[in-house]
Amino acid sequence: MSHAKYSVINTHVHNIDGVAKVTGRATYTFDVKLPGMLYGKILRSPHPHARIISIDATRAMELSGVKIVVTGKDTLGIKQGIWRRYEELCDEQVLPLEKVRYIGEPVAAVAAVTEEIAEMALDLIDVEYEVLPAVYEPLEAIKKEAPTIHEGVERNVNVTRHIEWGDVDEAFDEADYIREDWFKCSGQAHMCMETRAAVSSFTPEGKLTCWASTQSAYYTQGLLAGVLGLREGDVRVLAPYVGGGFGGKFELDAAMFCSAVMSMKLFKPVKVVFTREEDFIASKRRTPMFYYVRTGIKKDGTFCARESRMFSNGGAYTGMGATALYLSGFFHSFPYKWRGYRYDGYRVYTNTLPSTSMRGFGAPQAMFCSEQQIDWICADLGLDPFEVRRKNGHTEGYEVPGQAFIASCGLEQCINEIEKWVKAKGKLPANRGIGISSCGFMSGGIFNWFDSPYSFSSAVITINVDGTCELHVGCQDIGQGSNTTMAIIAAETLGVKVEDIRVHSGDTAHCPADLGAWGSRQTLMAGNAVKMACEDAKKQLLEFAYAEMGINIVYDLDIKDRWVHIVARPERGLPYGDLVKKALRAKDGQRIMGRGYYTPHRKGMISPAYSYMMQAVDAEVDPETGKIKIHEVMTAHDCGQPINQLGLVGQLEGAASMALGYAYLEDMPFEDGKMMNPNLVDYKVIKAPEMPEAGIIEIDTYEPEGPYGAKEAGEGLTNPTAAALGNAIYNAMGIQMKELPITPERVRKALREKKEQEAQK
Amino acid sequence: MEKQVLRFKVNGDEYEVFIHPKTLLAEVIRDHLGFTGTKRGCETVSCGACTVNVNGRSVKSCSVLAIQCEGMEVTTVEGLEKNGKLSPIQRAFLDHGSYQCGFCTPGMLMSSTAFISEAKNPTKDQIKESIEGNVCRCTGYNSIVRAIEAVTQGKYKEE
Amino acid sequence: MSFKCPACNKEWPNSKQVARHMFGTGDKAHRAWIESQGHSYIELLLAQTTEAGNKSYEILSDLIEKAQDKL
Repeated sequence: MSHAKYSVINTHVHNIDGVAKVTGRATYTFDVKLPGMLYGKILRSPHPHARIISIDATRAMELSGVKIVVTGKDTLGIKQGIWRRYEELCDEQVLPLEKVRYIGEPVAAVAAVTEEIAEMALDLIDVEYEVLPAVYEPLEAIKKEAPTIHEGVERNVNVTRHIEWGDVDEAFDEADYIREDWFKCSGQAHMCMETRAAVSSFTPEGKLTCWASTQSAYYTQGLLAGVLGLREGDVRVLAPYVGGGFGGKFELDAAMFCSAVMSMKLFKPVKVVFTREEDFIASKRRTPMFYYVRTGIKKDGTFCARESRMFSNGGAYTGMGATALYLSGFFHSFPYKWRGYRYDGYRVYTNTLPSTSMRGFGAPQAMFCSEQQIDWICADLGLDPFEVRRKNGHTEGYEVPGQAFIASCGLEQCINEIEKWVKAKGKLPANRGIGISSCGFMSGGIFNWFDSPYSFSSAVITINVDGTCELHVGCQDIGQGSNTTMAIIAAETLGVKVEDIRVHSGDTAHCPADLGAWGSRQTLMAGNAVKMACEDAKKQLLEFAYAEMGINIVYDLDIKDRWVHIVARPERGLPYGDLVKKALRAKDGQRIMGRGYYTPHRKGMISPAYSYMMQAVDAEVDPETGKIKIHEVMTAHDCGQPINQLGLVGQLEGAASMALGYAYLEDMPFEDGKMMNPNLVDYKVIKAPEMPEAGIIEIDTYEPEGPYGAKEAGEGLTNPTAAALGNAIYNAMGIQMKELPITPERVRKALREKKEQEAQK
Repeated sequence: MEKQVLRFKVNGDEYEVFIHPKTLLAEVIRDHLGFTGTKRGCETVSCGACTVNVNGRSVKSCSVLAIQCEGMEVTTVEGLEKNGKLSPIQRAFLDHGSYQCGFCTPGMLMSSTAFISEAKNPTKDQIKESIEGNVCRCTGYNSIVRAIEAVTQGKYKEE
Repeated sequence: MSFKCPACNKEWPNSKQVARHMFGTGDKAHRAWIESQGHSYIELLLAQTTEAGNKSYEILSDLIEKAQDKL
C-alpha cells in the first residue's frame, strides 16, 4: 500500500495549538500563578561527594517572608527511580538523607513570599558536610581503590547489558579483515527553552495538584504519589503546554518533588522554577559513552562479526540510564545484518551529573562509532560505502535474532536516493566533503519498567450533538505536535475535519493514562489507540445509518469529509451532522463514545516497528582554525505513512539542529565534577545563521503495526548526524574524529597529527 | 531604594505601575501586568525568549530596567493581534509550522516584527541574522526563516 | 546437546550462550553461583571490557560445562 490519498492525513494541516502559541495565550508551568502562591528555591551541594552531617535552617527561618525550609528529613526518604519494577535501580532520594553524590544535588529547599527572599534564604542555611573522595570518570570509578558511590554496588557498576547472537568468534574467523577502534562520545544538555518547573498545590482534602513541565503527566503522577505516600488518584498532574522535553523531562525532578513536599506542609501553592544554570548543572544529561568497536568483514564487503564494549558515565544516579545502555547496544547493530554480534555494556556510577535519556536514546552515540568505522573500513579495503551498506542492510521480513522483527523497511530506497543526491553534487572544492550515515530507530518500546498496569496508550472519543468531538488522550504534546497528529488520525478515521476535533491532553484527572512522549512512541501507540476509538465510534454511529438507509447487506457505509455514504455509490448518503442528531435521540440522549487502546504484544525485545533513514552532511573545514561550516543536510527517510506533514518537516529540521549541536558545538566540559559552562553564552547551541538547509526525501513504505502504516519520525533523525559529519570531515581532510563534539581544537589537533605522520613517512 | 511610579503604554494601553527601580522590564510585563506571553529562558541575556518591541525596536526585556521605558510604547506578543485578527507574521508562522513547543515563539515573533518593519527585500542571510539572538531548540530555525521571508516578499499583505 | 544455567536451569544450545545469559542477568542468584566457583562476577565482567579477547566468557563457559553433571 503506498501513500494513498487521504482527506486529512499527510495534508497541510495547521498545528492545532498554533493560535494559542503565536498569540501568547499558551500558558506553560512557567507562567502558572495561583492565589497565595509561594516561591521555592533549592540549596545545592557544592561538593561532588560528601556526607551530610547537619543542616541548620534557623537563620533562614528568621528571614522575614520565609515560610519553610525542608530537607530529606522532612520526606519519607523513599529511594525512587523511573525503573519502578527493579528495586535496585530505584536509587535516588531527591532530597538525600545521608550523602550528596554530585555538585548541584539538592540538599534543602525554601519557600518564601517572593523569589528574591527565597534566594536570599539559601545563603542562610548552614550545612555541615564531611567531604569524601570523589571519582569522575567511569574507567577510574571501576578501579578497586575508587570510592564507593552507592553502598552495596560493587566497583560502582550500576547496570550491565549484554546482547549477543550468532557464533561471534566463528564469524570473526570468517572475516578477511578486522578493524578495531576506541571512541569517546560526550554528554549533551537537553537545554529545553522552558527550564524544569513545577507548581504544587496541596489542599486540606489531602489531594495534590501539580502543574509540571513534563513529558508524561502519568509518570509524574505515579512517581509523585509513590514518594509522597499518596494514592495516584489523589494526585492530579497538569501539563497543558510544555516548553520542550527531548528525553529529559519524564522522571521525577527536584522542581516537582520540592514544590510538592513544601506545599504538603504549608497547604499553600509553591512554585519552583530552575534557573538556566540550575537546568544545566542539575537536570540529567545525555549519557557520555566510551565505545570499543571491533568489526570483521569479508573482502567483498559482507559483514561478518561485530563485537563492541561500552562504558557509560552514569553519573550519580540511574535515571533512564539503564534503557540507554541497552538501546545503544541494540542500535549499534543497526541497520545491518550481522552473522555474529556481541555487545557488552556497562553503566558506571561517578560523582557527576546523572546521565539519562536524550533524543536518540544512546543511538546517536552508537552510530557515531559504527558508521564512521564502516567508512574507514571501506577506505581501507577500497570498497564503496553505499554498496557496502546496501549489501548488508536490513530488509523487510528480516529478524534480528532474538531481538526484533522488521515488518517494513525502506532502507535500500533511502540509500539509493542519497547516493543519487551525492553523485549529483559532483566534485567539491578543497576542504569540503560529504559524509553519509544510515540508521534506524524504534517506534516506542515494548518495555514496561515503570510497571504500569494500564494499556500503554488509551483514547476516548465522544461525539457532541453538533458533530464536534471531544478526544481524550494521555499522550503528551511537548512541541512535537502529538495533539495535532491525534486530531488528524481522529478526523481521518471518523470522516470529519480536524477543526471538529478538540483534543484533551496533559491532565491526569480527565485523560487516560499514557506512558508519554519518549522513545518516539506516540504516533504509533497513541495513534493506534485513537484510530481504534474512532473506528468504534464510527461503527456505533453507522449502525443508525444502516438502519435508516436499509441498503443491501453487500454494501458498506463510510464517512468522509462529513458525508455518510455508500462506499460503492458515494453520491447516496446523508450529512454526518444529521446522523449524529438521529443517533443521539436514538440513544436516549447519550453521546456516542468510542474507546481505544494499544499495548504492543509479542513484538520482540525492543519495538513494534522501526524507521529507517540515510543522511548526508555536506561540510567544509577551515584548515587554519579547524572551524566547521555545514553547507547542507539531506535525509532520505522511511517513517511509513507520514501523518502530520508540517510536523514531520519540523521534526526533521529540529532533529538536525540538535544533532548538529551534538556533533560539533555542544561541549560540556567538567572539571573535578563541576560543569564549566552552565550558561547559554559558553554552552554553544546552534543559532539561525549556522543552520543549513535540511531537506527530506520521504520513502514510501507501509508499516502494518502502525496507524495507517505510520511509524516514528523525530527521534531517529537525531541518530545519523554526528557520524555523517565525521565522515564528511574524513572525506574532506582525511582525519578520523574519534571524540565528540568535533570542536575546532580537536580538528586542528587531528590535522597536526596527520601532518606529522605524513612527514615521518 | 524607594519605589517609584512608571507610566508607559503597553500594547496600545496606558499603564501605571509602582515598582522598585531595579525591576526589569520583563518582570513588569509578566508579573505586574500579567502578560505572560513574554517568556524568560536564561539569566545571561542570551536566549531571546523575552524579546519585546520598545518604540518599534527589538529589545531583550531582561536586559532593560522597566523605568528606562517611562513614556515609551512597548509591544508584546499579545499586542500583535488586532480585534482577533492575526498579524501577517503570526499568520505566516501558522502556515509554515514555525513553532513547536512555542516557548521561544513570542520572542521570535517580536524580533521578526521589528525586522520586517525596517527591512526592504532582505536576503535569507539577513533574515537569519535578524533572529540570531533568539534561541530555538525545537524547529531548527528554517521554518521561521521561511515565514519571515514570505512576509517580506509580500505574501501576507493586509487587506 | 543443551546446557543448563546452574543458577536458574534455563537451557541453551551451547555453554557460551549460558555464559552470556549469566553476565546479562547479573542478579543475586547468578552472581552467587559465580562467586561460589571462586570467581568474582564483577572482575570477570570488567576483564571482558578492558582486555582483548573473550577470556571471561571462556572461563565462565568452562565452569558451566563442568557443572552440567551436577544439574
